[in-house]
Amino acid sequence: MSAAQTGTLHIPKVRKKDMRAIQISFLHMLKFMKKDMMLLAAGLSPLLMGAAIRLGIPAIDKALRSFTGLSQILGPYYSLFDIFYSAITPSMFCFVAAMVMLEERDDHIDRYLFVTDLGKRGYYISRIVIPALVAFVISAVLLPIFRLAVSSFAMILFLSFSGTLQGIIIALLVVNISSNKLEGMALTKCASLMMLGAMGPYFIERPSSHILFFMPSYWTGLVITEGRAIYVLPTVLVSVIWIVILSCGKFRRYT
Amino acid sequence: MLTIDKRFINLLRWDLRFQARYGFYLLYVLLTVFYTLVLFAIPGSWKEKTAAMLIFSDPAAMGLFFMGAIVLLEKSQKVTSYFAITPMKAREYVWSKVLSLSAISLVVATILATVAGYTAIFPLLVGTFLASAIFTLCGIIVATKISSLNQFILATVPIEIIGFVPAILHIFGVTGSIADRLYPANVCMDMIMGDRPFAAGLLLTVALIALLLQVACRSVLKMWQEQGGVKL
Repeated sequence: MSAAQTGTLHIPKVRKKDMRAIQISFLHMLKFMKKDMMLLAAGLSPLLMGAAIRLGIPAIDKALRSFTGLSQILGPYYSLFDIFYSAITPSMFCFVAAMVMLEERDDHIDRYLFVTDLGKRGYYISRIVIPALVAFVISAVLLPIFRLAVSSFAMILFLSFSGTLQGIIIALLVVNISSNKLEGMALTKCASLMMLGAMGPYFIERPSSHILFFMPSYWTGLVITEGRAIYVLPTVLVSVIWIVILSCGKFRRYT
Repeated sequence: MLTIDKRFINLLRWDLRFQARYGFYLLYVLLTVFYTLVLFAIPGSWKEKTAAMLIFSDPAAMGLFFMGAIVLLEKSQKVTSYFAITPMKAREYVWSKVLSLSAISLVVATILATVAGYTAIFPLLVGTFLASAIFTLCGIIVATKISSLNQFILATVPIEIIGFVPAILHIFGVTGSIADRLYPANVCMDMIMGDRPFAAGLLLTVALIALLLQVACRSVLKMWQEQGGVKL
């Protein structure tokens, strides 16, 4: 049997085994979350937050307008609420996964998992990538229901995608920079500020607002406020740079 | 008595070092810079209320946010097992946590209040300390009963709702009855805003802290006595 033939026989077998390990690892995390009731909370909160935004914000806007007599108060910022909503669901899913990872690190479970078939890469896929993909789907389904301003299908997909990238960045920041759950909680507070970059294009004049260039959410805000698709590129590019830097840090940390 | 005092001071110093080592001070330097920028960016008429909301919801409530991680880390490092066999009292442990976290809250609150142009700093400091004590004690009570961070985060959500929502509505005058000014969270918020609280409200707040302190001490003692499934 030739080497090529051996390769073609071997590679799918290994991949299948890896996938099985990743699947088991993900299901294990779901069981852990179910025990803490976090699974229920993570499942319900996007719906509750969506309903609160969809019904609450226009009601508050109406009340404020009648109270102040101004023609518009929150109206110009409806799209900002859409950006936040599209980022909150993935960030929350990735945050919950990051908390599980911090627990596993403090209990020294992660290093045992690394030496199994799962490996480091599989561990990170099962703990961050799969929850992020699930969050992307949920965000893309719920955003059209609870949106306030964005209407096009492409924009909904873009917001869900950029929100998912932010969720991954927040999880990687928390997990890779902190060495225990206490530092992780401290970093969560800092990392969640990343989402606030979206406010830059709404409240800061150009070119001063470009000081927030390192935040992916800033570029997401620009895509919406300027209505120019060209800003999709820096959104993805800045996110990918963050993910690559943090991923490199991850592998250094464990080697 | 002298030994107890020295022990408490050592414990307090250890807690402060612990918080410094795990980046609390660095975190709050960053957050204070961020909040200061926010306060500079918003219109002057909004500054006071925004600063009050920021102080009440972050530095004052940091105990509620971090206590789960602090206690769980101590558990995983087996520190609580050592506490169980030392002469240290649960009350000393609880006070040490309250005072060490309040110290950060008070410094951050003073900076934010100065940036926002507050003149009544003394009531602000008292209000921040009382709010910090309430939230930290609630955090300790919850933290002693949980086994994971996610459990802690979920368990603190009702406390956050009960603590934050009435106080924020109170700032905007959405609620205005006398009963509202007796509610401990609103009393703290009044003081953070530089207003004089109702004497009855202040008494009620102190009584709540005393009650929470008792419950927190019992919870800590119970946690120490039940190490690794064995009841000491």
